[in-house]
Amino acid sequence: MTERSARPELGPPQSPMLEIGASVPRADAWAKVIGAEHYAIDHYPLGLLWAGARRAGLAHARLRGVAIEAARALPGVVAVLTAADVPGTNRQGIVHKDQPVLVEDHVRHWGDPVALVLAEDRETLRRALALVEPDLEPLPGVFDIAAALRPDAPTLHPGGNVLLEAEISTGDTASAWDVCAAIVEGTFDLPFQDHGFLETQNGVAQVEPDGILTLTVSTQAPFRDRFEIAHALGLDPLRIRVISPYLGGAFGGKDGATVQCLLALAALHVGGRPVKMVWEREECMIAGYKRHAARLCYRLGALTNGTLHALDCQLYFDTGAYAHLGGEVMELGLEHAGGPYRIAHTRMRGWAVYTNNPIGGAMRGFGVCQASFGFERMLDRLAAALGRDRLDLRRQNALRRGDRNAAGVTLVHSTGLAACLETLSRHPLWLERDRWPDQAPPLKRRGVGVAAVFNAMGYGRGLPDAAIAKIALTPDGRFRVDSAVSDMGQGNASAFAQIAGQILCQRADAIELVQPDTARALPSGSSSAGRTTYSYGNALVRACEALRAKLLHRASLLLMVDEPSGLALLPGRVRHLPTGRDLPLARLAAMLPETDRVSIEQFVMPVSQEVPDTGKAFVIGFPHVLFAYAAHLAYVEIDTLTGKLEVCRYLAVTDGGRVLNPRNFDQQIQGAVAQGIGYALCEELRLQEGRILNPDFARYLLPTSLDVPDIASLAVATVEDTGPFGMKGIGEVGINGPLPAIASAVEAALGRCPSQSPLEPRRLVAEVAAPSASDDAPR
Amino acid sequence: MTQVLIPTSLPELWSALREQPSAHLYAGGTDLLVKRRAGLLDPAILIHLGRIDALRGVTADDDGLRLGAGCTHRELLEDAQVRAVLPVLTQALQTLGSPPIRAMGTLGGNLCTASPAGDTLPPLYVLDAEVELWSAGGERRLLLRDFILGPGRTALQSGEILAAVRVRRAPHGSVQHFEKVGLRNALACSLVSLAALVQTNPAGRVKHAAFAWGSVGPTVIRVPEVERHLIGQPLSLSVLSEAAVLARRAVAPIDDLRADADYRRQVAGNLLLRLAETGSAPER
Amino acid sequence: MKIHLILNGTPREMKVAPDRRVVDLLREDLGLTGVKEGCGSGECGTCTILVDGEARLSCLLLAAQLDGCRLTTIEGLAQDGRLHPVQQAFIDQGAVQCGYCTPGMILAAVDLLNRQPHPTREAIRVALSGNLCRCTGYQMIVDAVETAARRMREGEDA
Ligand SMILES: Cc1cc2nc3c(=O)[nH]c(=O)nc-3n(C[C@H](O)[C@H](O)[C@H](O)COP(=O)(O)OP(=O)(O)OC[C@H]3O[C@@H](n4cnc5c(N)ncnc54)[C@H](O)[C@@H]3O)c2cc1C
Ligand code: FES
Ligand code: FES
Repeated sequence: MTERSARPELGPPQSPMLEIGASVPRADAWAKVIGAEHYAIDHYPLGLLWAGARRAGLAHARLRGVAIEAARALPGVVAVLTAADVPGTNRQGIVHKDQPVLVEDHVRHWGDPVALVLAEDRETLRRALALVEPDLEPLPGVFDIAAALRPDAPTLHPGGNVLLEAEISTGDTASAWDVCAAIVEGTFDLPFQDHGFLETQNGVAQVEPDGILTLTVSTQAPFRDRFEIAHALGLDPLRIRVISPYLGGAFGGKDGATVQCLLALAALHVGGRPVKMVWEREECMIAGYKRHAARLCYRLGALTNGTLHALDCQLYFDTGAYAHLGGEVMELGLEHAGGPYRIAHTRMRGWAVYTNNPIGGAMRGFGVCQASFGFERMLDRLAAALGRDRLDLRRQNALRRGDRNAAGVTLVHSTGLAACLETLSRHPLWLERDRWPDQAPPLKRRGVGVAAVFNAMGYGRGLPDAAIAKIALTPDGRFRVDSAVSDMGQGNASAFAQIAGQILCQRADAIELVQPDTARALPSGSSSAGRTTYSYGNALVRACEALRAKLLHRASLLLMVDEPSGLALLPGRVRHLPTGRDLPLARLAAMLPETDRVSIEQFVMPVSQEVPDTGKAFVIGFPHVLFAYAAHLAYVEIDTLTGKLEVCRYLAVTDGGRVLNPRNFDQQIQGAVAQGIGYALCEELRLQEGRILNPDFARYLLPTSLDVPDIASLAVATVEDTGPFGMKGIGEVGINGPLPAIASAVEAALGRCPSQSPLEPRRLVAEVAAPSASDDAPR
Repeated sequence: MTQVLIPTSLPELWSALREQPSAHLYAGGTDLLVKRRAGLLDPAILIHLGRIDALRGVTADDDGLRLGAGCTHRELLEDAQVRAVLPVLTQALQTLGSPPIRAMGTLGGNLCTASPAGDTLPPLYVLDAEVELWSAGGERRLLLRDFILGPGRTALQSGEILAAVRVRRAPHGSVQHFEKVGLRNALACSLVSLAALVQTNPAGRVKHAAFAWGSVGPTVIRVPEVERHLIGQPLSLSVLSEAAVLARRAVAPIDDLRADADYRRQVAGNLLLRLAETGSAPER
Repeated sequence: MKIHLILNGTPREMKVAPDRRVVDLLREDLGLTGVKEGCGSGECGTCTILVDGEARLSCLLLAAQLDGCRLTTIEGLAQDGRLHPVQQAFIDQGAVQCGYCTPGMILAAVDLLNRQPHPTREAIRVALSGNLCRCTGYQMIVDAVETAARRMREGEDA
């Protein structure tokens, strides 16, 4: 496809050595600070058409027809397509194919698309979309979990409203309660959360002269997209090419089909012209995926000495109109429902339920974020009931390597929670915690809270978590990595450069990173699940090592030395150390055919060798064996007149294995904590009969620079033997801590804390007004 | 396509308005262009007021200050006279929107939008501000509280613009206080706000008090009972708590997405208690 | 209508629809895609540009308003092949993640430092509070602006 290309005219002044463990600047920072990076949204191919979807505008309805004539008659409108124009199955979905590209007859949520309009310009598109008239017969809807589960509830899908129901249990909960010295209970409600990435869903598509359908999309899963499109539209997946430039944020929300199938459908109808689709902010929120709303019911018991003994919990996830990854999100929530603790007897049940709400999907923290609120609130209540210190109780029960977790899986890999809690316990912010409430100004109350959290990595059993890395020596003696997993901002591409630079001993300017393109790279799964750097990085380690060995062998021929043991790769050259003779890499490259300059290696993440006799409902995804851990601490202040909550100080201690790049590590932690603070303080999708009342940034509130404090981030010194250079993925774990840590702090300040999030002023002012229970407040 | 006219003087403006009586005015555009994007209005002709010098600038005389309606919030915040004489307005402006919104949005736009959540309104209500309305035919003045008729409604007549706001100096030594409750610390629409102007005698007893609440009624609300109740009293927590009860009775909030009426009512009263803290110190 | 402006240092005369949003003019007509759009309604700051040296939201400006103005977009900030100190500090301090907020953040910071060369951390946070970032938690952005301020002062001293 034709493109205006804007290569940065400026070059980085100096190029650092890429060493593992050093805070080398990110490879993408340069182009991003000069505005030269071309995100998908910045592609404006010549002669493009604009595509837009007409949304249903009712949450549950029978679609009797769509009047498109008026729109089609508008000058400048090229086509108006409906379900009848969709070839293929007209079904998309990552695991369950239950979501139509264009609705045939059953509208299941407000943002369901009923028609696709193609126009010469955006203004015409806007007017044409308004002229499309769906003929809707309203149906009674289900708008919360309880309503969806009623026996007489209207059903959304042929199999009923329960997408998946499952149980994970260990030990014997029937008798375990009798010996408990303290039992605590609670029910918690959490709202839908929006990802709030700043680059909305978008892409361009075009059928090339050779018949290949090419898409440049803001996507987390370019390889899966090909199959998604092919299935929905009845195409050959291998005749589809997907390019995924750097993303302007995603956080899970661009995992799965957004614009892809609509764009592909559009491209098929316009005789080779390029088509562009950009969702505006409101459409992004109405039609995009969300963190699942959830209800958690907990019961936790402990022995006199504080040993956690029995857990019974039910986790309900509202997956909205379509499955997306609802079953898998529920799975991960359930697998983490017992927290990062040893609990001998557990019975954890979960439901993922269809409603006529927006679609629940993948989001950083993936079910665990919700469950963390439940188990950590339980730990605080248990500490209060037993008269124990909150941190101490967590340390006593923290999982260690070799333990069985609450899902019955033995932790054979690095397990650094105890080290996180230990580090936190010695930090001045913990040691001086009593001063904080004592120094509260008039009309304010203050508290300190803690939370221990964890998050699994990878797809889990049943779906091989594999990646195939590709690196090549270029003719000019540099190295090109064909990344196969998107960089949505988390910096995995930079980590790849660092891995290659370390192994091949090269400077930053010698490593060229190519963002995923299915025509160049090899299938490596999605950018998700804390697996991106781990899985692709591991494959890349192998590919780089193989390439290094090969290049040294080839160099030994050219340098006429007997064997490569005296040869070393150095920046831009191979040196024969005994003689000091250099062979420039460009010369070496010139000697080698292209096929010999490439190295391709695969890695598959280890899975549990012990499959517990539970969780049978999960065909894929259960169990996991690799986890990142963290201990968080929050200082809060609450205004007693307004109920306004301020997070004043924050500490996150993380076990992510070895830290490849300290600054990029802190970026992930601080960013995740900030997003978690938003989840705790103000982010909530407000719904009325399935309609989002706040589908914009004026009413759906992301934290600003004045709402997030400086966040101290510490890493504990663990090494994950299976990880590239000992690392584990830490993209997700950081978001699980803020809500429970802040809730813990609120309880310390007020003697109680709402069991509904977010912890908005309207909720807290009620707690302030209630009689003080500060005598029992945790210390 | 919308036509955009940019007069650079008043005569140009009057002739534009005469020729295009249906034209819509805008200054910073931070309200108008947002509404236009949302499809709430689709004017055929827009007149941009940003280049008329006569609408800008702050001038002072013995009585007080005259604030040009075309002043941006940022200009007012950076103005030394405004800071010195009208701290209650400065405090409110600091909470309005965000730096770029303050750099683009104008005082005139905020008042003409006439939102009960408009942040410059409560301070100007307690200062008994007057507005200057100009038209091709001349000038008239109104008290701000008579200018604002209801949510989104003002006394502006066709062909008329808001030219300036006049504010008298508050008596020396009065406490000026503003507080807005929002769901976050920037870019937050007010859930409740309170502006206060309180003068005390050397013994700490209230001589004069004026309060105005935002976002708890169709327009900004003043409550004479509360003001009367405080006369002669110290600004103690107990006195203010009594006043809070009166305030809660008088306000008329509604439920909306951001807060429910009960919360607004409760907090409208609560905010008075802050004066026990700030009230003893002279203006900040 | 015809407008005259100085765009990233170059005088230009252009024929524009008077009501075209400046963000569309820059991105779609002039190819300056470093200007981003995140909300279209003043809430996110990704569309920030400098107009006569001051930060403005290009989603809430109409083309007609640009007549006679001097515009700087992120593409025009570096001078003579050298990054602006704020750009350099964003790289050095890790202030860039997905980078979508970055152009707007940088221009907002430049506006701040032009007026206030010695800002406190708190003042930096206030100055950036109209620019949302979903990736960083803001801390490294504040670090970067602090660093840039220091370097700009030291550069002047030297
Ligand atoms: C992201 C965002 C955040 C915001 N936050 C806040 C906030 O916290 N608090 C707050 O109070 N407001 C807020 N606003 C609203 C808005 O910024 C302010 O009301 C601002 O003062 C409007 O001024 P303006 O010049 O931009 O108005 P414009 O949009 O230009 O005009 C608004 C209305 O006033 C009329 N008008 C303007 N000037 C005159 C005049 N001189 N004579 C006659 N009529 C005139 C126009 O015809 C139009 O109807 C926010 C807006 C945005 C986009
Ligand atoms: S796009 Fe202009 S402020 Fe968001
Ligand atoms: S770096 Fe992604 S939004 Fe700021």
